[in-house]
Amino acid sequence: MIRVQELTKRFGSKIAVDNLTFDVRPGVVTGFLGPNGSGKSTTMRCMLGLDRPDAGTTLFDDRLYRDLPRPLHEVGSLLDAGYVHPGRSARNHLRWLAAANGISRSRVDEVIALVGLEAVAGRKLRGYSLGMKQRLGLAAVLLGDPRTVILDEPANGLDPEGIRWIREVLVHLASQGRTVLVSSHQLSEMALIADDLVVIGQGRLIEQSTVDEFVARHADRWVRVVSPDATRFAGDVTAAGGAITAQVANGFDVRGLEPARVGELASQLGVVLHELSPQTGSLEDAFLSATSATVEYHSGVPA
Amino acid sequence: MIGLLRSELLKLRTITMNWVLGIIAVLFPVAITLIVAATTGDDEYTLASNVLEVLSGTNRVAVMLLGVIAAVSITNEYGFGTIRPTFAATPKRSRVVLAKGAVVVVTAMLIDTVVLFAGLLGANAVLPTRTDGTSLDLLGEPGLQAMLIGSVVLAGLAALAAYGVGMLLRSTPASVAMFILWPLLVEGLVGGVLIAITKDTNVMRWLPFQSGFQLGNLGSGFGGEGDVGFSRVVSGFYFGAVALGLSLLGTLSVQRRDA
Repeated sequence: MIRVQELTKRFGSKIAVDNLTFDVRPGVVTGFLGPNGSGKSTTMRCMLGLDRPDAGTTLFDDRLYRDLPRPLHEVGSLLDAGYVHPGRSARNHLRWLAAANGISRSRVDEVIALVGLEAVAGRKLRGYSLGMKQRLGLAAVLLGDPRTVILDEPANGLDPEGIRWIREVLVHLASQGRTVLVSSHQLSEMALIADDLVVIGQGRLIEQSTVDEFVARHADRWVRVVSPDATRFAGDVTAAGGAITAQVANGFDVRGLEPARVGELASQLGVVLHELSPQTGSLEDAFLSATSATVEYHSGVPA
Repeated sequence: MIGLLRSELLKLRTITMNWVLGIIAVLFPVAITLIVAATTGDDEYTLASNVLEVLSGTNRVAVMLLGVIAAVSITNEYGFGTIRPTFAATPKRSRVVLAKGAVVVVTAMLIDTVVLFAGLLGANAVLPTRTDGTSLDLLGEPGLQAMLIGSVVLAGLAALAAYGVGMLLRSTPASVAMFILWPLLVEGLVGGVLIAITKDTNVMRWLPFQSGFQLGNLGSGFGGEGDVGFSRVVSGFYFGAVALGLSLLGTLSVQRRDA
């Protein structure tokens, strides 16, 4: 269980994290979302005491991080896969980490095998791709078999096989009752693995909820109708207060009416329906909708 | 703490550049001393102290290189970002600072011990017998023991000072430049100005590295007429206080700033 309480971090006059409070429960994957510059990475660094927060605390199973005698056994973190010395081998990188927390060399070899880096473990890290460094970072996370896992963009640079692998690893870790907090910009991935969400913007909490609640609250919803009488029925739906927003093959999308109301209308008018389905926007749609007011860097499309 | 010391030692010895600098630190003074010893033995005016002064002088190069290793041990952590996993693994930063400091200081002292004994014993072995039949005996030279102990202490204190500079500046180029230029250039210029103003060569004793280098001299003081420079021990304490001050300031900086 992670409990972040009233965390605040300023860089000069800029408030990067603003009185942020949220909980991360064990047994599920919690996605940590926010636009670029929203303070996700700063929050994670503050949680681990790497950046000194101006106010607030973070408790890991009711203990401050600095009070953990051997933190790698409690909290495994991967904030940036690039935090390695390029002249050192992967094995030696893990060995110095392990030595600092009294972890055996055999465990180092175990996690190297687990992330599939056995063949290149002796190679200098300057020759590693970003994807290989991500695997090494995950090996470091798993080194102490921690109860809590914190990952910042772990799928960056991974190929599709690697992305699937990290998804399975995170879901597996959560299924073992561990607390898993993951930030990612890959919302389609997040939709697949996350149960809970913490969404922030400009350093402030926008929402903490389950993925389903978040999508239901922020994503667009509509009804898809497919019928051999689509053209005629569209007029009837409009007359009943619906708004036709898109045409599909032999059908249309309607907003403003619940699926049950559309079904009743079809029944009353004797219209044959081949499809009547509620549609919901994606997590990406919900995220963009929820964070639109807090996006710091707006972009346009080239003319 | 033992695990942390092992971790820091592992970091130090798994970087090729540290080995390169360490090997140069050993080979340069030893090679120069052996060459001088082997080629000056026929000179009837050559004294044992001449050879030992060569060893003492070239050992300063070793001391500076060992200091560079100490400074880079911390600046590289910031440069490559490994300071973050380091502090994530050991959140009590003072323990990391202490362990790393202990490792670099002890390593510097051990390597310098190798330099001194290899130079001394090697030079003594290659000194040819003079044409008049007498021979030089480096091992019997007065002040040799103090020079050897002082040199090793100097290596440790210089490593501590460099480590402190590294913690304060966090940048490898800036820290190395400052550590090298401070004794070689800045103290030379400042010392020159001070001597010009005070007309007293002993004013140099207040310059930390000039004072610290007295630790490794065969004699003591600055060698001038009516020398009133600090004694070897006082020089050592003065330089030690500066090195300790730098490392304490560096520790404060590491404690307070974001990693």
